[in-house]
Amino acid sequence: MKPFRFRATVNGRPVDLPVDPRRRLLDVLREDLGLTGTKEGCGEGECGACTVLLDGRPVNACLVLAPEAAGCDITTIEGVAVEGRLHPIQEAFLEAGAVQCGYCTPGMILAAKALLDKDPRPTDQAIKTAVSGNLCRCTGYVKIVKAVRLAAARLAREEGAV
Amino acid sequence: MLPPFDYHRPASLAEALFLLASLPGTKKILAGGTDLVPALRRGDLSPDHVVSLSQLAGMREIKEDKGFIRIGALVTFSRLAEFPLFLKGPYKLLAEAALQVGGPQVRNQGTIGGNIVNASPAGDLLPPLTALEARVRVCRQGGERVLPLAGFLTGPGRTCIHPEEILAEVDFPALPERAAGSFVKLGRRNSLAISRISLAAIVIRGEGGIVEEARLALGAVAPVPIRARKAEALLRGRKPSPALLEEAVAAISETVADSLGDRPSAPYKRAAVRGVAREALIKADPRFASGGC
Ligand SMILES: Cc1cc2nc3c(=O)[nH]c(=O)nc-3n(C[C@H](O)[C@H](O)[C@H](O)COP(=O)(O)OP(=O)(O)OC[C@H]3O[C@@H](n4cnc5c(N)ncnc54)[C@H](O)[C@@H]3O)c2cc1C
Ligand code: FES
Ligand code: FES
Repeated sequence: MKPFRFRATVNGRPVDLPVDPRRRLLDVLREDLGLTGTKEGCGEGECGACTVLLDGRPVNACLVLAPEAAGCDITTIEGVAVEGRLHPIQEAFLEAGAVQCGYCTPGMILAAKALLDKDPRPTDQAIKTAVSGNLCRCTGYVKIVKAVRLAAARLAREEGAV
Repeated sequence: MLPPFDYHRPASLAEALFLLASLPGTKKILAGGTDLVPALRRGDLSPDHVVSLSQLAGMREIKEDKGFIRIGALVTFSRLAEFPLFLKGPYKLLAEAALQVGGPQVRNQGTIGGNIVNASPAGDLLPPLTALEARVRVCRQGGERVLPLAGFLTGPGRTCIHPEEILAEVDFPALPERAAGSFVKLGRRNSLAISRISLAAIVIRGEGGIVEEARLALGAVAPVPIRARKAEALLRGRKPSPALLEEAVAAISETVADSLGDRPSAPYKRAAVRGVAREALIKADPRFASGGC
């Protein structure tokens, strides 16, 4: 199989590497780029553990063939913290107790980030919709919704302070 | 790693059609991949070639043109759910159906073309497109054909598309302002539930507040979406009221019963469709709940 030249922007940095086109974006992120924060749960599009942002929109990296993401701007959980400081959404998840085993957390946070980037003051309904493609088997969704609400309030305050 | 196949990423529709016509062996078209990638991974499908449509930007457009609404096959569920024309009025049923598919991730990836060619009896866009009397434009090298969606879908998971053809576009005639549409699906609370039963309704108001035309398409009660013709006929020319609603609901339930025969799911679906039908008709025309004009 002829390798495909995979060029994209991952967490703000350009990447350029040959990949077997039969591999999924999930495999390239985890195995070639070492970005193991992106998890594989079901591998079938059902659980959202593999969520990454493709040009700002959440997608399941287990359903995307790697070459399909060429030319895109890709954000994984590793690209969310700024200069080693947790992103306000990450802090809010910790404070609200929205993390237990943590397996779903990277996907949840990226789904929440996509929402807040577009809609800084979401209703609870909008928050629930935004995380409806992400399963959590530990926490239940109440704390996760609370965490996103808290993050929205913090981000609004930070905005106001600038 | 998925099983072996050659991957192709044509830069134009012409190149894609040429590849499909000339590649030897079996081939599969890749759009959003939400159905195809899991099927490849499970080994349900093992084509020699996978031809990606991802570079065909022209197939991502939605246009209003000469009395038709044209939707490119690569338009995603998210685009349908956000497109201003589909947010209110007659075409709302499309946005409502698109919003109930999967979760946000699947909506960002899955396409209208994939939903049609996948032809699942539970495909959520199929009832709205059936009610809109949609047509599909299917291209092959050196030609194309346009056919009604109703003729294109031939059974569960089956259409009359050939392996060397690409579904390029779906279109349907524009509706007047006095039309309203709605889509209701059962089991919506679980956002990943594959639809069990759904109804897409279009009600066109005529003079004096009567129903000039009603189009009702049922999903997941037959191998392909079906129109509830009895109910459509009895609504025509009459004024919406709670009494008329009950007549229509009974007729829709009969259509479901006729379609399902003595399948195990029949008693449940016959009863369940009543709630779905009430909700969809009231959403399309509130006078079904309250009477009045
Ligand atoms: C977790 C999950 C939840 C889901 N929930 C729902 C739901 O609630 N409702 C629902 O209706 N569906 C649902 N689906 C199914 C799926 O997302 C849809 O059927 C979607 O529309 C498929 O589109 P795609 O672009 O991803 O197709 P692909 O997977 O790329 O293709 C599907 C099939 O169509 C063919 N094809 C695609 N585009 C074309 C074209 N333009 N011309 C010719 N052939 C083509 C492919 O060869 C393949 O056979 C779900 C899927 C997942 C993984
Ligand atoms: S691993 Fe991708 S959705 Fe579950
Ligand atoms: S914290 Fe364990 S799955 Fe969500």
